[in-house]
Amino acid sequence: MTSTGRTLFPYLAAGAMIAAVVWSLSFGTLERADFTFVNSTEIKSVDPAMVTGQPEGRIIRTISEGLLGWDPETLAPVPGVAASYDVSDDKKTYTFHLRDDAAWSNGEPVTADDFSYSFRRFLHPEIAAEYAYLLWDVVGAEDFSTMRLEVGQPVEIELLDRPEGALPFAPGRRISGVLKEVIEEGGGTDGGADNTDGGNGNGTGKVYVVDVGGTERRFRRGDVPSADDDVEACRWVLRDFETVGIRAPDDHTLEITLKHPVLYFDKLMGFYPLFPVNRTCVETYGYPAWTKPEHIVSNGPFQLKFRRIRDRIRMEKNPHYWGRDDVSLETIDALAVESVTTALNMYMTGEVDYVPEVPRTILQEIQAQGREDFSAEPFLANYHYLFNVEKPPLDDVRVRRAINMAINKQEIVDTVTQGGEIPARSIVPPMVSGYSAAECDAYDPEAARALLAEAGYPGGKGFPTLEILYNTHETHQTVAELIQAQLRNELGINVGLRNEEWGTCLNSRRTGDFMMCRAGWIADYDDPNTFLDMFMTSNPNNHTRWSDEEYDRLLEEAAECEDPQQRMQMLHDAEAVLMSEMPVVPLYQYVRPTMVQPYVKGFYNNALDVHPLKYVSIDKELKRELAGH
Amino acid sequence: MHPTWQQSPQDAERLAELLAESQRIQGLSLGRDAWRRLKRTRTAMASLGFLVLVGVLAVLTPLLPIASPREVHTERRFAPPELSPFWAERIPLVDDEGRVDEAAVTAAFGELNLLDRALVRLRVALFGEHCVASVCGTDELGRDVLARIFWGGRVSLLVGVVAALVSLVIGVSYGAVSGYLGGLVDDAMMRLVDVLYAIPFIFVVIYLITVLSALEASLNKSFDRITLFFFVVGAIYWLTMARVVRGQIISLKNEQFAEAARTIGAGRARIIFRHLVPNLLSVVIVYLTLTIPRVMLFEAFLSFLGLGVEPPDVSWGLLANQGLRVITPVRIYWWLVVFPAIALGATLFALNFLGDGLRDALDPRLKHR
Amino acid sequence: MLVFVLKRLLWMVLTVWAVFTVSFLLMRAVPGGPFDSEREVPPEIKANLEKRYHLDEPLYQQYFRQLAGAARFDFGPSYKLADYTVGEVIAEGLPISASLGLLAMSFAVVLGVTAGTVSALRRQSVLDVTLMSIATIGIALPNFIIASICVILFVFVIPIFPAAGWGSISNLILPAFCLGAPFAAYIARLTRTGMLDVMGQDYIRTARAKGLSGRTVVVKHALRGALLPVASYLGPATADIMTGSLVVEQIFAIPGLGSHFVKAALLRDFPLAMGLVVLYTVLLYSMNLLVDISYTYFDPRVRLE
Repeated sequence: MTSTGRTLFPYLAAGAMIAAVVWSLSFGTLERADFTFVNSTEIKSVDPAMVTGQPEGRIIRTISEGLLGWDPETLAPVPGVAASYDVSDDKKTYTFHLRDDAAWSNGEPVTADDFSYSFRRFLHPEIAAEYAYLLWDVVGAEDFSTMRLEVGQPVEIELLDRPEGALPFAPGRRISGVLKEVIEEGGGTDGGADNTDGGNGNGTGKVYVVDVGGTERRFRRGDVPSADDDVEACRWVLRDFETVGIRAPDDHTLEITLKHPVLYFDKLMGFYPLFPVNRTCVETYGYPAWTKPEHIVSNGPFQLKFRRIRDRIRMEKNPHYWGRDDVSLETIDALAVESVTTALNMYMTGEVDYVPEVPRTILQEIQAQGREDFSAEPFLANYHYLFNVEKPPLDDVRVRRAINMAINKQEIVDTVTQGGEIPARSIVPPMVSGYSAAECDAYDPEAARALLAEAGYPGGKGFPTLEILYNTHETHQTVAELIQAQLRNELGINVGLRNEEWGTCLNSRRTGDFMMCRAGWIADYDDPNTFLDMFMTSNPNNHTRWSDEEYDRLLEEAAECEDPQQRMQMLHDAEAVLMSEMPVVPLYQYVRPTMVQPYVKGFYNNALDVHPLKYVSIDKELKRELAGH
Repeated sequence: MHPTWQQSPQDAERLAELLAESQRIQGLSLGRDAWRRLKRTRTAMASLGFLVLVGVLAVLTPLLPIASPREVHTERRFAPPELSPFWAERIPLVDDEGRVDEAAVTAAFGELNLLDRALVRLRVALFGEHCVASVCGTDELGRDVLARIFWGGRVSLLVGVVAALVSLVIGVSYGAVSGYLGGLVDDAMMRLVDVLYAIPFIFVVIYLITVLSALEASLNKSFDRITLFFFVVGAIYWLTMARVVRGQIISLKNEQFAEAARTIGAGRARIIFRHLVPNLLSVVIVYLTLTIPRVMLFEAFLSFLGLGVEPPDVSWGLLANQGLRVITPVRIYWWLVVFPAIALGATLFALNFLGDGLRDALDPRLKHR
Repeated sequence: MLVFVLKRLLWMVLTVWAVFTVSFLLMRAVPGGPFDSEREVPPEIKANLEKRYHLDEPLYQQYFRQLAGAARFDFGPSYKLADYTVGEVIAEGLPISASLGLLAMSFAVVLGVTAGTVSALRRQSVLDVTLMSIATIGIALPNFIIASICVILFVFVIPIFPAAGWGSISNLILPAFCLGAPFAAYIARLTRTGMLDVMGQDYIRTARAKGLSGRTVVVKHALRGALLPVASYLGPATADIMTGSLVVEQIFAIPGLGSHFVKAALLRDFPLAMGLVVLYTVLLYSMNLLVDISYTYFDPRVRLE
């Protein structure tokens, strides 16, 4: 280094530091939004077909709107894009009548075709929406989604080339025909162009013989034009979407036909994954570029304006929204604050208006202070422990019941969770509407000891060390510690704890590498089915390895049942089986401890913890008054 | 510090010189010389004393009349510190016939080894079932914070010392071999260190913890998270040590004593580990006192991530992290954060000062200053 | 010097490749995949998801695909932040982490060097012990404790700073302080040691002998030599601090890169993790290179070869 360089060095260093400060400030500040809330974590996407979580739901509900909405207080279906709907007498066909004034944020009208397109996209295997199964009760939807084909069935073939004048990200040309034959090619792996795609029955090693308008054509799936002269390459061979029960006879009518009655289908239409996307926008930019604030077109009361990862999502009122006159907020900020303590700090200094979660350790104190802006309402979610019923001694139902009876759930909610959680004796929360839950044994250490002795472990003698697996989280840890103490004191059982971070924990659960494991479940919609079907033998969520024919039969029959009361009775009977067999210990029903500033109006607590922001307004006078004081 | 320093620097200077000269005549070893100089540093000596005290207390924890660190008393959650009644609490350890009840001991303190069980028996003999009041308050499950600090200290110190030793063994061997062999081998070995340096530790930690848990499951043998820790942390912290040792070995290996060993036909391994490594003692000791605090902080950070020690075991890092959760503007349960922070802070403080003192004492260049 | 830089760059490429390979293997060896969730995905859908991200390919194919991407600094879409590519995530997070990190670092250097120098010159005095004690607190307490205490003190007891967030200068000060504190402490100790070493050297004695004032000797002569260890420490430390700190970012809700590091590993977001590893390695190497170049300033005897 030259001598000038040497003299300059300290100044350069100092300059870099100043530049850093200036640079960091150049990112600019946004004005505080009318309504700012903490959204727990950075969302995965704003594309309704891509997401599953609650934080994502909060955003998508704000910028999009489905056929129906939910009432902020009662969660009853209310008109959304559809002003009304009819149900056929056999309860299998729903006809939605779309309102004339529904519009996208670019001013174009929302039509039935938009929904048909969105549902098709949602079900398409290429999108692989995790929630796709929600629509599988629609005729043909499951086949379409899972690429199941039958010979003699109408199919659609997506070719590699795109129709003329198509948008850059439009799908390839589609032709329809009738499937004549599927020819398996030797072993399925030869050719080397691509791999087989597993056991889903639609591999690339297959040639599909299709009758297209009278001529027989052969297709093989692949990404490059086929080398064979007689076999054409195509992207997808799927059940013809025309035969799927979603039809748009005109711009303002959407008809959906179901395989069997689904009594909660109208509620489902207010669930955010089923919200529409704008076809032009999606096909112009492609995913993920269409979700960028500068491109996105949505149909909700608000529209996306700005996003900074792990910082904020800024939304502004959509001037084309049909109900714009009733929307009071102009701007909304959703902050991705992961630490609950930090969120509380920001709430306390008035930087945010709503926090969806409050640190557990201070719940008691906050309740004691009697703050009016605090509430802890139960919502449809439960906390439970799964047994691996294949691991002895847990294969003995008496042992499982004894453990359940020895756990003092009241003590858990009183001392650990403290938000007013409700000790649970059923897997379906009692507040599910129109349903009476079947209960398991109550807390009874005396009976628990007797039962354990009957199973061959008097006083816990000879009982192997039980292990509780939980994913790393303070609440799970404390609950597990308490249960550990309870089982030791009441039954004389030695309990070990194993804490694994999320990914590993899920893997252990799936592979059955656990004895007892913490789990939780949040309802998607207000129906017992959302809690019960995960214990069916065929359900991939059933990690307990428990299987019961009676249970499976009851749930299957209930799914087809047309009479609501009879159906609820069947579900109740199924839960009774579950609660006597005890592959799962229900511990408590969650509450959602939230804090909302007193000047926020139109904000209600409900069983699904859903707060449509179009109803929310700010009492500015009260806000000023509170700030001044 | 020399007592006559303030009176007259020149005198002191001369005196120190004389002293040093006389020491040389006596043939004082480097270690004893350093010890003498260390004794003159008040902060270092105070630190050393404190650390010895902490160590002794940690070893003797089962003997002390304190409450159980894991017994849950939900009716006493978040009880603030109280001094009176100081001697009223009891902890069930004795069965009806007046003998120590092993099951109760396990319930109160966890699985103990032979020595600890003997200490518990001695405790019962000395103090009976008495234990001191919750002078540091209780936590969210009503567990005694004082007891948790003591038992947590055992884990934290053990983690710190053993992990530092593991890193030391790996680092010294690796660095010494690399430095001594030199050439291509040295290059290759040091490049490997560079690569390992650049891998963010979090991947390594998650990887090791999960792989070792899988191993645990397949062997059907349970070894606790603490044991895992030694490996994980040792595996991360040896890198710096390896570099430092390599540098030292390179400068030492051409010294006459190494040449001498070579001429009388000593093998490579013998030269490295018999002749060269002992000369690294000072570097190693200093590094050790500085690694232990870093390991203990790292343990605290892992606790922050939820990857640390598993309950019902406790460590200072875990306690600090639990304390953190109750620092909110609504209510501050100060005793949950202050006492663990003091324990952790004071120990690390002392270790750092001792490390400094040792470095000064072992550095010949600072001898006469 | 050009040859030196080129040689180092070559080594960097090799190291990045090695780090990439090791991290790739590490991540894939850990149980659990990116599309595991509490709500189990039907197998058909999971197969399609994996196909979309090429996870159905044999491992070696995935490796070469990702390596080819990494060579072009294109790591593809993040799994968990699906609307963004890894490049975009880094492009948004790095400036924030870097600016906060540099601010924290400048604070740490100024405070650390001053404290270290003063206490070295007044060795064994009360001032030395006091300054070093304060510095040691920075090392002896986990920074999540320091940060929480700062929040309570300067947000609620004396309300001068906002609680958290990103955007204005007042948002910046508290996190920068908490992020810089342990580094300041470390630098203070390094400076002190370095200073003590240097003050015994002949050239300092010469400088004194020729009648220079104490201040000139310290600032112009001694400090330069004493800062050598600090400079070599600053290299890796800056790389560390610029890729963010999980703790400070969480407590102050700062959208930097630190949380991504941990999240990507925990949630098995392979592309993001690989992108961050490569970024970290490149930063680390560049910083070390800068440090080596800066040696020529601190120590005129050093020539780069």
